Amino acid sequence: MDDREFSRLLKICRIQMGEAERAKVKGEVDEILEYFNSLGDVDTKGMEEAFHPITVPEKLRKDEASDFNDINMLLKNTKTYRFYVVGPNV
Amino acid sequence: MNSIREFLDAEKPEGYGKRVLEELSKLNEKLNAFNNITGRLGEGMPFSVKDNICVKGVETTASSRILKGYMPAFNATVVQRMLDNKFSFIGKTNMDEFGFGSFGLNSQKPARNPFDENYVAGGSSSGAAVATSVLKYHVAMAESTGGSISAPAAFCGVVGFTPTYGALSRHGLIDYANSLDKIGIMARHAADIRYVFEMIRGQDPNDTTSIEGKYASEDRKRIILVDQLVNGIDKEVESSFMGLVDKLEGMGYKIIRKSVPFIEKAIPAYYTIAMAEASTHPASYSGFKYGYKNEDFTQHYNQFFTSAREQFGEEAKRRIVLGTFVRSASVRDKYYSKALKVRSLLLHELEGVLNEGFILSPTMPIQVPRVDDAGSLTPLEVYKTDIMTIPPNLCGLPHVSFPYAYHKGMPLAAQLVTKQWNDEAMLGLVDGWEKGFKYRFKYNIGELR
Repeated sequence: MDDREFSRLLKICRIQMGEAERAKVKGEVDEILEYFNSLGDVDTKGMEEAFHPITVPEKLRKDEASDFNDINMLLKNTKTYRFYVVGPNV
Repeated sequence: MNSIREFLDAEKPEGYGKRVLEELSKLNEKLNAFNNITGRLGEGMPFSVKDNICVKGVETTASSRILKGYMPAFNATVVQRMLDNKFSFIGKTNMDEFGFGSFGLNSQKPARNPFDENYVAGGSSSGAAVATSVLKYHVAMAESTGGSISAPAAFCGVVGFTPTYGALSRHGLIDYANSLDKIGIMARHAADIRYVFEMIRGQDPNDTTSIEGKYASEDRKRIILVDQLVNGIDKEVESSFMGLVDKLEGMGYKIIRKSVPFIEKAIPAYYTIAMAEASTHPASYSGFKYGYKNEDFTQHYNQFFTSAREQFGEEAKRRIVLGTFVRSASVRDKYYSKALKVRSLLLHELEGVLNEGFILSPTMPIQVPRVDDAGSLTPLEVYKTDIMTIPPNLCGLPHVSFPYAYHKGMPLAAQLVTKQWNDEAMLGLVDGWEKGFKYRFKYNIGELR
């Protein structure tokens, strides 16, 4: 992976790294990707993508509202103004 | 041996619960098994909960700074089922941040091995294994994505059970990788695990991937050794392991050797899928909803989230970057899609092998490493030590790690794998093993004299 690609990735992931950390992690990422490339050795012709290891039956819940009784505790995790959650500027 | 029944039937001396928690808290200063201990112990059998499983009103951080202070407003389904059955919650156990690790070192205060603190506890459910090793009466709710129950159970000399994917509800589990995460159980005896497993399993309307499994109990008295998993490992591990094989043969098991081509490719397939799925979760950790608060709301939108993510540890950052990359449109087929197809192929191959009997291997290809030695490994070297534990995790197969020998005072463990929904027969084999082999523990906090 070249430097430009790595910088693009960090930006997408919204992760900042100092120079030393960046150089170390990029080297490790390159080594790991090289290892991932060995997946190409396996003949998977005719194989489906297994998104889950088991067959998950299709299940749907009833489309109806249910009560959640502990809203106060939920809001304790956030900074609030009146009954609003305070977040960053968009 | 069912120590749950023994505990419930025994008369406890006055002040028993207080004494247990005091002794545990003192030892915890040395071993870092718990991120927090609740300070109360009821009449029920004690249980601990890995710190990525929600307990209402108890700080739950997955050992990450970004979740510091997060107080869940609900109990995970498995926790609620334990409480409904009168078990007594004692605390949240230490782990590698978000489950990202094999040795327990990716934590702010890494857990230490109870046999010798200079050695690692294993990861990512490091604290769960240490707690199980030091408490006489206790079961641990742990979690595995690629070996996070087997590895620490092996290094700490306890029994670690990872059930069929979907057997236990994941509702209330902080996700690492949805298609791989499984809540499991650690205990000192297989019978305790069976007891708890039967009690808490089953479908949960809050987790669409949880299933009411069609359980079998099939033991064909055959043990399969996969060539790729027993060749090229640590020589001491290999020779001790062959001693176990001989003993199982003496118990009436026929030993069969087989080759499973490409089983070693489970490692790159697993890490590709796990990182891809893991990289989709950090959006939840935004610096204002859960845990860490970035209270500088004057910051620009991107700057706000970027500064919040400085709380992630190095391994978390590495996995988020790699996972984002392998999902990129330009390389998706080469990495992510290919890994899913390799999983499909291995599922097919292993299903065929497991129809003939149990797969047995050492749990780890190495002896318990010293903290310094494990800390000096590169990330890729660490990933490669997961060769035994990844195949069953990638394929959602039930597996259990159990001690079978001790070398220079440290435990050696083997891992048994079976086909999906045959969990009980596998635990039955370990139960049989325990009748002729006594596990060793350095501490027995809570022993009823």
